Amino acid sequence: MDTLIDLGGGFASALEPVSLAFALLGVLLGTVVGVLPGIGPISAIAILIPVSFGMEPVHGLILLCGIYYGSMYGGSITATLIKTPGEVASAVTAIEGYEMARRGRGKAALATAAIGSFLAGTLAIIGLTFLSPVLVKLANVFGATEYFLLMATALLLASTMSAGSRAKALISIFIGLAVGLIGLDFQTGLPRQTFGMDLLSDGIDFTIFAMALFAIPEAIRNLALGRGAKDEIQSFGDDKWMTKEDWQRSAGPWARGSVVGFIIGILPGVGPSLASFMSYIMEKRISKRKDEFGHGAIEGVAGPEASNNAGVGGAMIPLFSLGIPGSATTALLLFVFTMYGLQPGPLIFRDETGLIWTIIASMYIGNIALIILNLPLVGVFVKLLKMPKEILFSSILVLVVIGAYAIEFSLFGLMMLGIFGVIGYLMEKGGIPLAPAILALVLVPLLEDNFRRMLQISGGSFAPLVTRPVSLSIIILMVLGIIGPVVFRWWVSRRKLLADVTVS
Amino acid sequence: MTAFRTDLITGGAIAVIGAVYYIATFSIQETANIVTPRTFPAIVGIGLIVLGLFLAGQAVVRHRKDTLSEAAPGSAGSAHSTAAGDGDGAAASAGESSVETADRSSGQEGVGGIVLEAPPEPQVRKVVFQFALFFVYLAILIPVGFLLATAAFLMGLTSIYAPEKWIRNLIFSVLFAVVVYTAFVYGLAVYLPVGILG
Repeated sequence: MDTLIDLGGGFASALEPVSLAFALLGVLLGTVVGVLPGIGPISAIAILIPVSFGMEPVHGLILLCGIYYGSMYGGSITATLIKTPGEVASAVTAIEGYEMARRGRGKAALATAAIGSFLAGTLAIIGLTFLSPVLVKLANVFGATEYFLLMATALLLASTMSAGSRAKALISIFIGLAVGLIGLDFQTGLPRQTFGMDLLSDGIDFTIFAMALFAIPEAIRNLALGRGAKDEIQSFGDDKWMTKEDWQRSAGPWARGSVVGFIIGILPGVGPSLASFMSYIMEKRISKRKDEFGHGAIEGVAGPEASNNAGVGGAMIPLFSLGIPGSATTALLLFVFTMYGLQPGPLIFRDETGLIWTIIASMYIGNIALIILNLPLVGVFVKLLKMPKEILFSSILVLVVIGAYAIEFSLFGLMMLGIFGVIGYLMEKGGIPLAPAILALVLVPLLEDNFRRMLQISGGSFAPLVTRPVSLSIIILMVLGIIGPVVFRWWVSRRKLLADVTVS
Repeated sequence: MTAFRTDLITGGAIAVIGAVYYIATFSIQETANIVTPRTFPAIVGIGLIVLGLFLAGQAVVRHRKDTLSEAAPGSAGSAHSTAAGDGDGAAASAGESSVETADRSSGQEGVGGIVLEAPPEPQVRKVVFQFALFFVYLAILIPVGFLLATAAFLMGLTSIYAPEKWIRNLIFSVLFAVVVYTAFVYGLAVYLPVGILG
């Protein structure tokens, strides 16, 4: 009951004209940036963080949350029409959605993605509304041991559950940890890993790192490619919207995708990309029209798109109630919270009740705005796909430079941006995923702090890891998290579930 | 570059970085705490060394297996299917089945081998040049000022790409610099460097 009262209060302030405007602006900006080829949610938020600097915390956060799900939806437009997923989560849409568009069913693909995203997003926010307070109560018994374990689990799952090579995902995490430890040790005040440079004692700024890794390599790569073949944009003007059959075929995938995505989203360290793959595999497994998959099956768009949006809502739960980000994108949001001097977790629900519930309420509103604004406006967004590449990517470079300057106001900050841009480019070239590094960078101070406190309390003994009931259960979850994906991959390859969707 | 060479070089580089990082931990002052300030950096350094060596070693082992199966025609197919089945990442299995496409696409591969088209690879020379331009822009931003440096940078980039559209490039470069400057300085109170115009 308390929850409903809090949520009601949240709605009251989220519906104030200013808050409402920021929610709409966020969704719109997010969609616009998400539509741009090669720009996914992480880059979108990183590039737009500087915009929120001067704002009231609540408005800045409403704006950035809107940008988050707006860019997810924008990414599905790009994936469907030019087969360029902005991030891994929309990779399957780039297969099925694009095939649908090629067969003159582009509008149906966009509609099923939008409606599925809306339904799944709303269900996930309902889950967020009612689960967060429960988790907050549970968090009261959490000590340093549990927090340490949860963060270690998040990092571990981020590597085992990532797409691609696990060794490379782990390398990415260790790169993030290595960068995160540069600077003064907060417990003793001693400089660490500064290589004798005083400027490094403040550490590497998180936003600079995120912008450098996510925006620069993509921009430089595209600019260096020069003029090549133009992306072929699938037209869809004369297509029909969803038919009755489309609705019938989409309903099941929406529902299943929402559930799968939500559960996966809650798990620490597991982002929406796995959610969309799981949903895709599941839909293919139970479909009576297996042969249509890979050739534009609407289930293959409806399920994964619902799933990755449910994953977004799910991922907000550990972020809001425990202060632990589950993915690179939520890590960025955590950073924004701390930038405003707010610490997500049990305390924020106690001390900043109004703020947190306003943000949650604004998510409901943003989700509705997304579907009302975007379906009719899809034709306008598509025009963005035609923006000349050199204009798009040179503007992005300028925007990240402004962002870096606004953080450090120094040549040093700008050079860090450039250097990490080079590092990001080399990582991509070596096939090392970038997202886990971002998550690790945010988590490393918390991880170390809680590890130290755990050992201080226990006097140097590791026993609390297994003697405390909560920590023991987290360890069990951790082990399942390692074994689970191995079994899952084995099962998938055994059944050759995806053998025929390999596109090359 | 083949997947084999990429992994070998990446692994080697990571191991070297790990070693440098680990050596740097020796200059951290020791304290009497249970977990000293050195503990975490040292773990991370060692972790990077181990992972780098593992990646390089894995590449070598896979490469050997590949050459062996190529030597015996007919078994190549089965070698491929076992590689896909051993569970260690779509990157590895795709790398063996279609080296060209998997070269830099591991970021976009999915669980169980959803392989997307690999984005085209630009020439190294051009990438270095783009980065060089970017660094020049970073270096002159503060002394020259945002407006001039940005307009020049944008003009440079767009002109390399589409020299014949120089009028459009010029209009875009100047307009973008001015609009962004106005928006940030007057709208968001983020003060950008004025440089020589100040």
